[in-house]
Order: sequence, then C-alpha cells, then structure tokens
Amino acid sequence: MTNLERYDRIFLDTFSVPREKLPEIKYQGIPDWDSVGHMDLMSALEEAFSISISTLDVLDFSTYEKGKEILMKYGVEL
Amino acid sequence: MSPPAPLTVWTEPLAGSNCYLLEEDGACLIVDPNDPEGLPLLLEERGWTPELLFLTHEHCDHMAGLEVLRTRYPSAGVVATAACSAGIRNKRLNMSGLMEVYLTYHGRPGMTYPPFVCRPVETPYEECWGALWRGHRLLGRSLPGHTPGSAGLFLDEDTFFSGDYLLPGQEVILRLPGGSRSAYESQTRPFLARLPSGLRICPGHGEIYTLTPKERKQHGV
Repeated sequence: MTNLERYDRIFLDTFSVPREKLPEIKYQGIPDWDSVGHMDLMSALEEAFSISISTLDVLDFSTYEKGKEILMKYGVEL
Repeated sequence: MSPPAPLTVWTEPLAGSNCYLLEEDGACLIVDPNDPEGLPLLLEERGWTPELLFLTHEHCDHMAGLEVLRTRYPSAGVVATAACSAGIRNKRLNMSGLMEVYLTYHGRPGMTYPPFVCRPVETPYEECWGALWRGHRLLGRSLPGHTPGSAGLFLDEDTFFSGDYLLPGQEVILRLPGGSRSAYESQTRPFLARLPSGLRICPGHGEIYTLTPKERKQHGV
C-alpha cells in the first residue's frame, strides 16, 4: 500500500464519505469531521506514519489537501 | 436504609473532569485521580491518605494525578480494567498527545500540556472486579465503547461512578481513539439500560444526579 493509499484509507475509515469526495472535504464541512473526528483522524495519522504532529499543525490541518502538505513536512511522501 | 456515603468532589480546572473521594478514618478511596496539583494539596489539607484508586478509563483528564499520588503514597493500590492499564501507557490512547488540541477546541487555546504515560496498574481486571473497602462494597464493571478500557464502579449498590457515560446533557462520545460504537451497543448500552432508577450517578464531568426515566431517555438507555 502506498502512503497516499494509506492516507486515503484513514480518511475513509474515519469519515463516512465516498472516495471521490475526498479532495473536497474540509474540517466541519461534513458531520463526522468535527472536533472529535479531527482528533481521531490526527491520532490515526500519527500512528500510521509514526509521526507526532504539532498542535499548530493539527489546528492548521483543515482540508484533505492541506493535510497532504502538512504530512510532507514530517517526511511523509504522498 | 442508610444514606449514600458522603463524597468529596474535586473538579480538575482544565478539562472539568471529576475526581471523587470517599474518606473513612483518614484513609480514602479515590475514583479518577484527575489532577497532579490540586488533588495532592486537597489530600494534604484534609490529612487523608489514599488507600485505593480506581480508574474509570484511560483518558488523561481522568488520571493525570495518578503517578504523583503513587509516588507520594506508594502503598495505595490502583484498580482498572486490563485495557485501561494498557491505555494509560499509550499517549495516543490516553489522549495526552492531543490534549492541547482538545483544550483549544474547548476555549483554552495556548495551554501547554506535555504528553505523558503511566505505569500499569497493580490490579487489572477483565470484566468485573469486586472488593469490600472499609465496610463499603465496591464492584467495578468493564464498559467498553467510549474507550477500550472504560468501566463503571458501584459503591454500596446505591451509587454508580459512570466515567464518561451518562454525562449530564451530553451524548456519549464513541469516536475518540480506541472508541467503538459496536462495543458500546453490544455490551455497555444494555448494561446501562439495566441500572435501576433512583441510583445516584457520579459522572466523570458535571454534577451528581439521580437516575430517572427522564435521564434514561436522554441517554438512550
């Protein structure tokens, strides 16, 4: 599984959205991606990629696409 | 029928979690040692010695004072489910790694909350745990869903420490790391539905209340 597939899988497991909608989803744009869902998402990403995302980056992680940029900062190639 | 045992409540100032203390002859039972600063001061002020600590679940806002108390009172025993004992050793499952984010979302931006872990508990249990403590009957029951290690504790059959279940005015949260709706629906909700009306509920957040049909309806149990 590539890093991008793993990234997508975590979104799909955390939120009830079809894969084709992933590029357009954003924080608080769907019911599941509220503050609780966000913490679950961050926790799953940290575990999957063995990284520790800073608090500022967690708060900045506002869309599926923005999340890719943030993970790149931690050396995760997507 | 004797009145319910008198409890002291210590509410942790950051996340608003409740710690409950029951004192007998200077010794005390502590449910959820939530605060590493205020709780030791309270114990010193009252002159109480913790003898038994019970954890309702592994989240840091319910056990941040655990290691401080263990260091100060090494003879105190700690009881929790085996899953909770594992969870307190994991920054992801105990949520301390994301506590700064949680606090930001709850109106406290800019707070520093270093992630931490705890040592495993002395008395882990799987489904049920029971003991007689200074004349009080205690019965712990594993209740997974909110977290894998969640539990409730009966005290003398008239009081129930519900952890993060049955919180006043709040729906149960099942989506945090390790949370499971299926475990809640298959194990915990049926158990909560069997709790008798009239029971004193001591929730992990919010005020103590008496379980009534109205509360049952609010919580879907």
